[in-house]
Formats: sequence, structure tokens, C-alpha cells
Amino acid sequence: MGKEECKTMLDALNKVTACYRHLVIALGSTSDSQNLREELKRTRKKAQELAVANRTKLTSLLKDKTISKEDRAEYERLWVLFSSSMEILEVDMKRSLEIGQDFPLKVPTRHLIQTGMTGSTTTVAARAMSVQNMKYEADSNIDTADLRDLQSEICQVSTMMEEMEMKVQVAPWAVEAKQEAGAELKSSMSVGNSSVGVISICEEEPKEEDGGGGSGAGFASTCAVFVFVVIVAVAVVLGYLVINMS
Amino acid sequence: SSGEDIVAWILLNSCSGFLSSEARSFGSMLVALGYIYPLQDHKRLVIKPDASLYRFQTPYFWPTQQWPVEDTDYAIYLAKRNIRKKGILELHEQEQYNRLHKWMNHKWDFIVMQAKEQYRAAKERKKPDRVVFDCQERAYWVVHRPPMIFTQQSIMRPRVKSSVSIGALVKYCATYNSHDPFLSKCLPSNPWLTDDVTYWTLNMPNVEIPTKMRVERWTFSFGELLSDPRGRDDFRLFLKKEFSGENLAFWEGCEDLKWGTAVTMREKAEQIYKTFLARGAPRWINIDGKTMEITVSGLRHPHRYVLDAAQTHIYMLMKKVSKHTRSDAQLEQNARNRRPSLSPIILRQQELEQRAKMAASAPVDITQLCRFTTPVSHLAVYSGFTDSPSANASPSLPFVAPTPVCPSPISVALDSNSASERRAEAGEGEAERNPEARAPAGGNVLKSRMALSLRRLLKRGCSPSTMFASLSPKGQAAAGTSRIQPLCPDQPSQAPPRRTGNFFQIKVDIPPECRIYPIESEDEEEENRASSRGGVGAKEIICPWESLTPQNGTG
Repeated sequence: MGKEECKTMLDALNKVTACYRHLVIALGSTSDSQNLREELKRTRKKAQELAVANRTKLTSLLKDKTISKEDRAEYERLWVLFSSSMEILEVDMKRSLEIGQDFPLKVPTRHLIQTGMTGSTTTVAARAMSVQNMKYEADSNIDTADLRDLQSEICQVSTMMEEMEMKVQVAPWAVEAKQEAGAELKSSMSVGNSSVGVISICEEEPKEEDGGGGSGAGFASTCAVFVFVVIVAVAVVLGYLVINMS
Repeated sequence: SSGEDIVAWILLNSCSGFLSSEARSFGSMLVALGYIYPLQDHKRLVIKPDASLYRFQTPYFWPTQQWPVEDTDYAIYLAKRNIRKKGILELHEQEQYNRLHKWMNHKWDFIVMQAKEQYRAAKERKKPDRVVFDCQERAYWVVHRPPMIFTQQSIMRPRVKSSVSIGALVKYCATYNSHDPFLSKCLPSNPWLTDDVTYWTLNMPNVEIPTKMRVERWTFSFGELLSDPRGRDDFRLFLKKEFSGENLAFWEGCEDLKWGTAVTMREKAEQIYKTFLARGAPRWINIDGKTMEITVSGLRHPHRYVLDAAQTHIYMLMKKVSKHTRSDAQLEQNARNRRPSLSPIILRQQELEQRAKMAASAPVDITQLCRFTTPVSHLAVYSGFTDSPSANASPSLPFVAPTPVCPSPISVALDSNSASERRAEAGEGEAERNPEARAPAGGNVLKSRMALSLRRLLKRGCSPSTMFASLSPKGQAAAGTSRIQPLCPDQPSQAPPRRTGNFFQIKVDIPPECRIYPIESEDEEEENRASSRGGVGAKEIICPWESLTPQNGTG
């Protein structure tokens, strides 16, 4: 159904936007590199694809006059989600242009800010692109070449947003959010599940996003320890037998 | 990650001429703007010149590009923090969160979604980088959404009821309505319309006889009187008679300091201290002990506003004494005496000359006056016109004390012109004239009427006592004057020749025969007086900061 499809696409856009922001924050710092620039480029392109797809879908849904009032309200809510994502995307693209220009990579001495970050952003980009591992195949002058593309893409996005404003008559302030304060503490994943019931922050038992991750890591390590112990035990037994035999 | 002594680094890399204190403040500026953030004590955005650690902020969070700081982003940040802290936010964060939830409710779904995704994206990185990232973001928001420690206090800021503020506005409009050349006619004519510059001539800063409207304006508030140069001149003369001229001189000195160039500030402050504030100063002003303490300690590091407290004190003092208005005799003079206008350059020169003259002659002035002193029978007998050559009216003309508070201009404004004229005519018996809202309809007619009433008043003679009672500044003594001690009344006639005018302060609600003297021993003061009057003098007045500087060493 159109609505579910829409929500899935919006989720994807949302995810890519978040990752893109994370990557742009790393620009100009010590975790900056050729790879980062390539990651930015690819994430950006993906975001744009998703944006166009979302826009097409949503505008067609909203243009449909035959939909019910509740449906219309829902589509308007989705529209607000979409336009907010686009706003963030546009802002981040502009910022990445400015910072990218200020911190060129193909210079004899790179002047990158010592922010204390040492690792790379590969995993973030992989998350954005929904791949396991990123493969890097860009040329060495990506930082300058990409900037030109970036400028044109920013223009495209700006015009798209203006069109959206003109064509789609949705009053953003009229939309009522389904999520309550503190809803982020629930583990509900996507737009599809609207939160049920009012949950106040204080009483909330937050679902362990964090705890889940933590325990995952813990499990792996206990496994390793267990295996090690087993191997040591086997070695001891074998040694004992050898000694007995001899 | 860099744990540097940023101050040393700045000193090393900065252009020559940076003192270490400057380097420190520069460093603190960097922190306050958000280019560097502290790792410990992250809420205090200063550089501490010890081994505490700082880190550079990533360019995305710099203020350089002046990207707008959006509430949406802040809401997302708070939601992320909420997830990380598992629902336990700091108080100010909690407040902001609730506030944003209320105001950005329509976007809240998006905010929650983004917060979750951003949180998950950040988790993809390795732990140390994640920590750095969190620190960066937190530092950014400390700069751009500083925690309000005392939110309650800020909410409970004093607020004025709109009825009160609107009432004040109405009163202001009504009072100044007739004085606004746009809203009402200006007499004799608006120069811009008729090309007749009489109006300007009559209202020049140093005109002999000020116009009635001008004088009326002085009654509106003390500030009006002081800001009009002519009014200030009159007030200066008045204070001279009261032997309180140093107050106005001090006030003017303070204004000069406030508005003067920075280069001259230090020497001006010194000058003012030597002339007015130091013990044994030639024109010692009387301010209460606490203010004096504050001022003197502030003068160690003089800046533009160091004398504000003392100036305010003196201003209030003068305000209490100041209420007077002109008699109508002046207005007749005004009609008769018209001077040709002088060019502004000459006016300015005259002003400066006069100022210089007064400054040079100030101490002498008072001593001369002293010879003629008689116990002031009433607090504010204004005999300013003895100096004015054109004053034909008797110098002892009483001057009307207006009510200390303007009668409600609304009611005054409602009075018709005819009513005010009638009042003027009938007013000969009254000691009090109503200076407000005399709509000058048909100036000559009114002037003749006033001449008539004036003559009647002269016939009756003056009975100033009732009028001047209201002039006495009330509660003056209560202003912490630890140095004042009223002497017994039986030596007023002898006292003046012995004591000089500097010790005459603004009188308080005490019987007119009493004088007020500072507590210091009379002999010591006399010596000081004599020596300081003799020019540089044997006893030099030392400014407190001068004596302290060698002790302080380098700053």
C-alpha cells in the first residue's frame, strides 16, 4: 500500500540524512581524508535519490482528492517529516561546501583541526549506503572535483524545495505529532509504528538500545573466554594422558 | 587530542606585544566563542592557566560562518541526550526540552526520528571517537544554549503593569505635546516654514532671557533643566548662591569623563578626584561614606563609568533642591531684548572661554562670596538675577515653587486656553503659579495680562516662606552622611568668615540658621584649605591609585 511504502522510504531518507550530518561534522578534522570526501559524495547522492523518490510519491498521494480525511492528515504528517529532512539535508550540504573549500586535501601540508578523533567514518557511511563494507575508488582530486558537483546539487535541492513549497499546500504547523515527549526512549523503530499511550520521561523504563549493544559485545567476549578455557582444558587433559602414557 | 597550555601557545604564536593577561583573555574569548572547549568543567567557558585540558572544536561547530543555530537541531540534540542518559536530563535541559516540545510539536515526530537515527549513526564509530563526538556536540550547545542557572530568577524579572507604563506614556505625551513644534505651533513662527529665525534666536543656548516655553520645560523634570544649557547656567548660579556649586561642577566633570575621549580619561579622573573627592580637596563634595568608598576604590582602575555612583548621588541631591521656575518678568524682558544670532563657532568659543574662566576662578569665587554671606534665611532664595544686567525686576522676586510633582498633564491638557488665561489673571493672590499648559494663545495678550498680575504681586510683596518650604530637600541627612554634624545655631554670623564655602553643603530640613559642617577638625581643615588654595600648595593631594601602583607591580 502506498502509505507503507512511503513510510519505508521516509525512514531510509531519515537514516541517510542522519549519517550525512555525522559525516559533515567530521569534515575538516583529523578524521578527514580522501575517503571521507568520497563517503560524503556517495551519501549525498543516495540522499538525493531518496528525496526525489519520496517527493514524487508524496505529491502524488497528496494530490489525490479522493482520500479520506484521516489519510490526508497522515500524508500531511509524512510531508512535514519529509520537508524537515530536506531542510536538514540542504543545510548540511551547504555547510559541507564551505568547510570543504576551507580545508583542501590536495595541498602539500594539510591543515586539519586536531579534534582528537582518530578513527574513520567508514562504518557510518556503510550504514548510510546500507552496505557491509565501503569500497573506495575515487580519484585523488576528489575534494576539488566534488565541490563543483556539490554546488550544482545544492542548487537542485534548493529549487526542488521551492517547488515543493509552491505546489503542495500543507501547513506544517497544523500537523499534530504522534510521538509524545520522551518517545525517543522507546525502542520503536520506524515511522510506521506510532507510539501508543502517553509516556512521561520520568517514569519511563527506557528500552536498552544502548544496553542491547553493550550486552552484545559482552556476549562475544564471554564466548571467546569460554572457548579459550575449553581449549586449555583439552590441552591439560591431553598432556596428562601423554604423561601417563610415557 | 591536545591538552595544551593554550596561554603559552597563544603567547608564542601571537604578534608581539601580548601580555600574558591579554593572552589569557584572548584564550578565554576563543573558548567563549566555541573554537576551543574545556574537557573538565565544560560549563565554564574560560581559559584557566593551569594544566586543565582543552580541545579544538570541529569546523562544523565553529561560529565563523555564522550559520543560524536552529531550535530543531537543539531539540534533536536534547532527544539524543535523553536517549543516552536514559531519561535523566539536567534541569535546564529538561526545561528546554519541555519548552521545545510545546513549541515545536508539529515537528516532534521528525525530531524523534532524527534523534534515534543520529544516535545509531554515532554508535557506528569506535568508542573513543564517540566520546569525542559527544563532547564536541555538548560544547557547541553550551556555547549556543547556555544553561540558565537561575531560571526562576530570570522568569521573575520585574515587570511593569501595562496600565502603569501606558499611563506614563500618556503623561509624557500630554506634557510635551505643547512643546513639540510638529504637534503644536511654535512661537513666534516655525523657521522652517516662514524663514523667520526668531525662534532660533530666542532659544539659543546662551541667550540672556530664556523663553517662557523653555522655562516651562525646565519644570518638567530636573533632567530637562540640566540638559538645557541656559537652565544649567541658571542652576549653576543658584547653587553658587547656595555655596553648593561644586555639586554641579562635579556632575559636569563626570559627564565630561563619560563622554570624553579614552585618552584623556585617566587624567580627567585624577583631576576630578583631586578637585572634588580627596580629603581636603578644594571643592569637596559631600557624598556618603559608602559611595565614597566605592568610588575611590574604583578610581584605582579608572574607566568611563567609575564615577557613576557618586554622580547619581549628587544628581539626586541637586534634583531635590532644584525646583524653581521663572517669573513672568523675564518674559517681558524676553520680548524686549532680541540679540542677533552668532555663528556656532563663536558660540562654542564663548562657551569654552566661560568654562575655562569658571574653572580657573572657582575656588576664588566662593571665598569672595563668603564675605557677603548672611545666613540664608530660606533654603532657596533665588537671587540669580542680580547678575543679569537687564533684570529690572527686583532681585528679591520670589520664584514660584511648582508642585514637586507635575499636576496630571492630562487634566492640565484638558484645560482650555481661556481657563489658563483666567487663572493667570486671577493668580496674583496665589503664591503658586501653574506653569504648565499655558497655551500661548495670542502671546501679547497673555503677556500684558501677566504684566498686570506681576505688578499686583509686587504690590503685595513677597511671602516666600510658604513657597520655599516645599523646596527643602527632604530626608537629605538620611543619605548616610556620616560626615555631617549640625552645629548649634548660635554662631552663624561668625562662622562664615572663618569657614569657607566649601563646607556649605546642601541644606536639609534644619532650621535655617544652622550650617552643616564636616566632622573633621576645623584647624586641620583650615590649614588644608589655605594650602590648597595657594595653588599647588604644600600638601599635595595624592590619588589612591598612584600610591598603590608601585605596590601592585606589573599587572
